[in-house]
Amino acid sequence: MVMRPVRAIARSVMRGIVACYPLILLAIAWEAVARLGYVRPVFLPPLSAVIERMIPLTLAGDLLQPLAVSLYRAAAGLALAIVLGVAIGLLMARMRAVRWLIDPLIAFGFPSPKIAFLPIFILWFGIDHLTKIALVAFTCVFPVIVAAYAGATTVPTNQLWAARAMGTTSLALTWRVVLPASLPSLMSGVRVGVPYALVTAFTAEMIAGGGGLGGEMVLAQRYFETPTVFAYLLVMLATGYLIDHGVLALRRRVLRWHEDAGARDL
Amino acid sequence: MSAGALFAARALLSRLLPFALFLAAWQALATSGLIAANFLPSVRAVAGALIDLGASPSFYADLGITLWRSLGGLMLGAVIGIPLGAGMAVSRGVDGLFGPLVKATYSLPKTALIPLLLLWLGVGSATSMVAVMFSTLLPFVVYTYHGIAGVPQILVWSARAMGTAQRRLLWKVLLPASLQAILTGLRIALGFSFVIAIAAEMIAANTGVGKLMFIYGESGAYDYMFAAVTAIVALAFVADRITVSISNRLLRWDDIENRLG
Repeated sequence: MVMRPVRAIARSVMRGIVACYPLILLAIAWEAVARLGYVRPVFLPPLSAVIERMIPLTLAGDLLQPLAVSLYRAAAGLALAIVLGVAIGLLMARMRAVRWLIDPLIAFGFPSPKIAFLPIFILWFGIDHLTKIALVAFTCVFPVIVAAYAGATTVPTNQLWAARAMGTTSLALTWRVVLPASLPSLMSGVRVGVPYALVTAFTAEMIAGGGGLGGEMVLAQRYFETPTVFAYLLVMLATGYLIDHGVLALRRRVLRWHEDAGARDL
Repeated sequence: MSAGALFAARALLSRLLPFALFLAAWQALATSGLIAANFLPSVRAVAGALIDLGASPSFYADLGITLWRSLGGLMLGAVIGIPLGAGMAVSRGVDGLFGPLVKATYSLPKTALIPLLLLWLGVGSATSMVAVMFSTLLPFVVYTYHGIAGVPQILVWSARAMGTAQRRLLWKVLLPASLQAILTGLRIALGFSFVIAIAAEMIAANTGVGKLMFIYGESGAYDYMFAAVTAIVALAFVADRITVSISNRLLRWDDIENRLG
């Protein structure tokens, strides 16, 4: 009786490994090309050398400390973007004047390359945490505003009338009816924002320095410490992957009551 | 003037007015003395710098280089990404080979490749372009894949029943039916291309607008720095609008709700 699930698990693990064969092939090809001396190790160190480098980096705290700094900047910027974006998006949905004022600015700002504003942010906020947090917030606020606005405008008028008829005040209406109803859309906006937050934090660090994974990576590149560059690259890849899947799982949990909960979007 | 044109002009004016208010607030703040002139150059100073840059050939050279790097990389991304996405949608073998690679690298912050490319290709256009190529590849692959995979089976069956050959099926049915998805991918890729090209120039380059901004910033010419930022943001906006209008022209035959905003 116990054997069956074990065997089923083993089979699904096997299937998973088989499905990932291109990644395994890639790893073997990488190792082989580097080991056989087709390229100089300063350009492409073997995968094993990269993993070997990760051990002393981890022990010295040189992987986790920069990662924590980067994550802090990305999370703080995203949190700021969510607070500002939800407020602006809901105001736009509830007040015509705000919509008239903000909508054209968003239409102009959304497609703009936010990274171009980095020199201005460095001028205003210096080269430490604040610049990166501000740039992350500036990048992520646009999808959050659009998602909050879109979500708030989809609330059925019947629900608004019903709440009003029961004597709900305008503020409570926004907080208890409009905001929950716009949560599914909002979560999609946040999901779009999460990778933006990460990439913006990493990129701003690469440009402006001041630690974090991006800053350390560029330093390693300047000293031609190629295995370290690859080690940071793998950490960034893993971070992006885990966080992306984490947000998806969170979305499924938070929106259990919503019919879209199982929906997968790209 | 007809009533329709009058209405359109009024609508446009109503959309432009918030920008005028924004600029007026900026100018008022900059000249109020609350903020040091170094921190926030006035709108007048930035406009003067912008006019000055507009008359300088070397600024166009920098702008041209940035544009070449972003659009050149975008073209490479399209040339590789669209066939790859189409191949993954129609062939299980291709999907099995590239699908896991796409999934594994989908959430990699693409600028992370720039330090590596600097090691491989050195400082210059090649690094920027290849970085742009990698970052625009995925939107092309993903949107082409989903576009073709989402073509209603009934269209394929109908074409087959009428004796359409496999190759003609791709060109006459699958690609046109997924055009809207591919163009959406193009618009996203275009946005990425500017970000990556500018970021690569800011990390390490000798030319381009990204580099120019930092030169102005380091020499304290903040009005010129703001002007350069304004120029590249305006350029990205125009490129986005051109892409949207070309897309809508190409999708004239399609349902109106499928057009881009």
